[in-house]
Amino acid sequence: MQDEKDFIQELLNPKTQNIAFQKLLRDYQRPLYNHIRSIVLNHDDTDDVLQNTFIKVFRYLKDFKGDSKLFSWMYRIATNEAITFINQKAKRNGTTSEALQTKIVDNLKADTYFDGNEIQIKLQKAVALLPEKQQLVFKMKYYEEIKYEDMSEVLGTSVGALKASYHHAVKKIEDFMKTN
Amino acid sequence: MNHFKLDNEPKITSGFTTPDGYFDSFSEKVLAQLPKQETKVVSIFSSRKIWYFLAAAVVMLMLSIPIYTKYSVNSEEVDSATLENYIAYQSTISEDEIVDLLEQEDLDKMKLELNVDDKEIEEALNSNTNLEQYIID
Repeated sequence: MQDEKDFIQELLNPKTQNIAFQKLLRDYQRPLYNHIRSIVLNHDDTDDVLQNTFIKVFRYLKDFKGDSKLFSWMYRIATNEAITFINQKAKRNGTTSEALQTKIVDNLKADTYFDGNEIQIKLQKAVALLPEKQQLVFKMKYYEEIKYEDMSEVLGTSVGALKASYHHAVKKIEDFMKTN
Repeated sequence: MNHFKLDNEPKITSGFTTPDGYFDSFSEKVLAQLPKQETKVVSIFSSRKIWYFLAAAVVMLMLSIPIYTKYSVNSEEVDSATLENYIAYQSTISEDEIVDLLEQEDLDKMKLELNVDDKEIEEALNSNTNLEQYIID
């Protein structure tokens, strides 16, 4: 935690800012990419959202209080950016974000930057049918392997509630996999 | 698939991929969009320049004060004594010319001063012993 405080100071100091921010990019670009991609699903959109996320992180760093971990603060920004993006995209297309996600998942095979077999596509389809919160919890737990404690800080939900959400999600997914 | 249990299955990955070298160039792409450090330096520089100019201006002002006071004495108006002497000893100025310069107000003032009462005149005449001689003349 002390190391993180020092690192935040380096990020705020104009002399060390550039090098510190490059380290931040190196450490977080892949996990945040995976997190955003799991929500917006398409590579180009993920690229846009990920860039905006880092620009926001840079801009609001001076307001970062350090009450939460840098990790959860950045994940929170990324999650908000991704959800806002998917909602706006759905609005532009005159549809709901759920319908949009289902449509994208149905077309995953045609995506240049998707390389998965039948079972992978099937799991994506099952996840897309879940309510928004359960989707988020499932993706973060199953695909991204984030601990409940960390997820709790990102989503502002108790560990118990997250476990329950995950349990419900898994049940629905298993039912979908059996019947389809 | 009838007994599908997610935890019993081998891990199913998302299947998402990225273009080759995407993460190698991503940092640069973001860094290029951040507010430039250079602009900040320039702004500090220019404000520093302003302070230099201000300091120089103040120094110039301070240096110019003694010079100003020295020269300003020379340019001051001629004092009244010098002026009086000048008029008194300058024979080329005729009385007519002086009268021309007098305003009505000045003339009124002079009249007031000449308004001496008879008693004073008498006293003055009595005290003057040469008066008879003058009359004879």
